[in-house]
Amino acid sequence: MRHMLLREWVTKFSRRGFLRGGAAAVAAVAVSGPNLLAGAAEAAGLSAEETRALLKMTRDLFPHDRLDDSFYAKAIAPLQDEAAKDAATRKLLSGGIAQLNAATMASAGASAGKPYADVSDENVRVAAIKKIEGGAFFTKVYGGTMTPLYNQPELWPKFGYEGPSSAQGGYINRGFSDIDWL
Amino acid sequence: MPAKFDLNDSSVVVVIGSGAGGGTLANELAKKGISVVVLEAGRRMELTEFKNDEIGMFGAFTWFDPRTSSGSWYVAKSSPDLPAWTCKLVGGTTVHWGACALRFQEHEFKTRTRYGAIPGANLLDWPLDLKELGPYYDRAELRMGVTGTHGIPRLPASSHGKVLFAGAKKLGYTQYMTTNMAINPVPRDGRAGCQQTGFCVQGCTFGAKWSTLYVDIPQAEATGKAEVRAESQVLRIEHDASGKVTSVVYADRAGNLQRQKARIVAVAGNSIESPRLLLNSSSSQFPQGLANSSGQVGRNYMRHVTSTVFGIFDKPVHMYRGTAQSGIVMDEARLDTKRGFVGGYNLELLPQGLPSFATNLMPGEWGRDRASVIDSYANIAGVWIIGEDMARETNRVTLHPDRKDKFGMPIPNVHVDDHPNDVAMQQHAFQQADALYKSIGAKRTVHHLPFPSTHNMGTNRMSEKPQDGVVNRFGQAHDVKNLFVSDGSQFASSGGENPTLTIVALALRQSEYIADQMSKGAI
Ligand SMILES: Cc1cc2nc3c(=O)[nH]c(=O)nc-3n(C[C@H](O)[C@H](O)[C@H](O)COP(=O)(O)OP(=O)(O)OC[C@H]3O[C@@H](n4cnc5c(N)ncnc54)[C@H](O)[C@@H]3O)c2cc1C
Ligand code: SF4
Repeated sequence: MRHMLLREWVTKFSRRGFLRGGAAAVAAVAVSGPNLLAGAAEAAGLSAEETRALLKMTRDLFPHDRLDDSFYAKAIAPLQDEAAKDAATRKLLSGGIAQLNAATMASAGASAGKPYADVSDENVRVAAIKKIEGGAFFTKVYGGTMTPLYNQPELWPKFGYEGPSSAQGGYINRGFSDIDWL
Repeated sequence: MPAKFDLNDSSVVVVIGSGAGGGTLANELAKKGISVVVLEAGRRMELTEFKNDEIGMFGAFTWFDPRTSSGSWYVAKSSPDLPAWTCKLVGGTTVHWGACALRFQEHEFKTRTRYGAIPGANLLDWPLDLKELGPYYDRAELRMGVTGTHGIPRLPASSHGKVLFAGAKKLGYTQYMTTNMAINPVPRDGRAGCQQTGFCVQGCTFGAKWSTLYVDIPQAEATGKAEVRAESQVLRIEHDASGKVTSVVYADRAGNLQRQKARIVAVAGNSIESPRLLLNSSSSQFPQGLANSSGQVGRNYMRHVTSTVFGIFDKPVHMYRGTAQSGIVMDEARLDTKRGFVGGYNLELLPQGLPSFATNLMPGEWGRDRASVIDSYANIAGVWIIGEDMARETNRVTLHPDRKDKFGMPIPNVHVDDHPNDVAMQQHAFQQADALYKSIGAKRTVHHLPFPSTHNMGTNRMSEKPQDGVVNRFGQAHDVKNLFVSDGSQFASSGGENPTLTIVALALRQSEYIADQMSKGAI
């Protein structure tokens, strides 16, 4: 499934001219912080509530405590963009989010009656995703957000990845063989 | 100066594809003074266009034209419409390749004799042996600048390599080293030395890695005997009433159909496109496809037993630093049926940058566990299993019954069912790679099942007898004497080694044969 999705992503973005600019172009679509997020949501066709749920779901799929929400906002930007232009995508996303909401609302305990994005208990949110795992909505979000999440240059240092190296002359004089614990 | 040939010039050799096989053959023929037209489906990129960008270069290089897949192999589930990872550009997949350049072992040329009749497999001895190919391996290594051969020093080990070697040593292995690589350790042959950037697969920005894009193609053009037409996809090979090929029909950059006449046609489109083209060139005289009286065109597709194992450590590895694939453990490459399978496998270094790693990891999985592996990225080491897989008649490339590409050419379907021998080997390799990393303190290992196939072989195999295969020992079609196959689809077995050095050696040998046959007027 993964490579197929990556391929869809690659072809889609190459058509829109994103690809030539690579990750930077994807990042340029991005927004950061809650205020901007709301603005982007309107423009995107998904409601602010739906956008919040989509962002939360992306975090639940790829949960890294070291990343603040701005990275996830960038990850969902391509999907928002697509939803704004394509009614079928919008419908798929809205419908899926409604399902997530229904699942958490129906849950027992402290999360009962709350929409997915308002549930603070991660286990309850995860259980809601499990219910729709493998379906069209899940697949769309999983495949549509993964690459834009991990292909952000600003994110790489947080995982100890240094990104492009040719411009610095590679690692030949910058520790390619400096391991000291073996 | 690149040559310019007329479409009606029937004296030229047409080479289809400019990768490892086609690029090498074109260069050699041109150097011998033979006129060559290279038709290449992809565009021509410059070295300066390469970026240290995993996702972007994957998008820029990959052959994305539609393909389908079927069968029980993992790839048909994980990436059904991208069963193989090959390139579409001048230089072919040698732009992407990791540059591990290994020779096949003696027994791998004689699998039917050495392994016996394996049920469910269609093994066949190559109609040549290691001794015969030896001098061509020598020449291939010299022209590609393979480290560890002919006095060319090996590359230094990266931290990532040292982790592999420490584990290998702990496990009692003895044959581990930085791999024989077609990468300059120091400047050589007008190309730079390796700077340990780690972006070999994204196109080497320094040109330290051998690729036909900037080695063979410019050399061929400099002879004044070769013309390379990029963005020219061949759709059909035509023949006359005597059964000799006469021309090829291709779609040019603008999508217009052109017909190039030819004295000889050499097919080197990689092992999915080459049989696709022959099958699509059927005629009343060749109803099963061109050169397919044996029915073997497209069959015996091989792609190696592969998988990746990542070891997660407590301390930093920085696997992305340094020459990507330079590190190998060869102890399991031997033939030793006590392990429960025939053939052998190598363990080769496989680093990934964060974007590739995080998006390829544990497909379909999500949540805390998967994320925790990505959180450990800096402390991870990776090794690729590459082993011999079994030729099977039913593992094959066929033309899709209804789907066509943008030029109206039927798209290929790739069908594979893993042979029990493949499965047994994979399990053994997983066990060994796990033990290797755990022996030096990995707290966890993660398995990654095969990527879309990067090594594609066997679909026009060579054979002594015409009924067993498609081409003879020189890659010349049994049925059509002025038609040649010049890529890995000639392979009669996959070996446990990366295929490209063998493809280049065969192309060098083939170029001599073609020149000889032309001078004798035999073709
Ligand atoms: C990521 C990656 C890493 C690899 N690492 C290694 C390694 O370390 N060692 C190794 O030995 N091998 C490696 N390989 C495999 C290696 O790249 C191939 O074995 C080799 O390039 C195959 O050579 P070829 O000539 O058969 O085909 P290619 O190099 O794929 O060239 C075929 C060319 O033909 C063109 N073509 C196809 N059909 C047509 C048509 N109808 N008309 C016109 N043109 C056409 C294609 O566009 C392409 O340019 C790797 C591959 C990948 C993807
Ligand atoms: S590590 Fe060496 S071979 Fe690989 S891309 Fe960098 S310079 Fe080229």
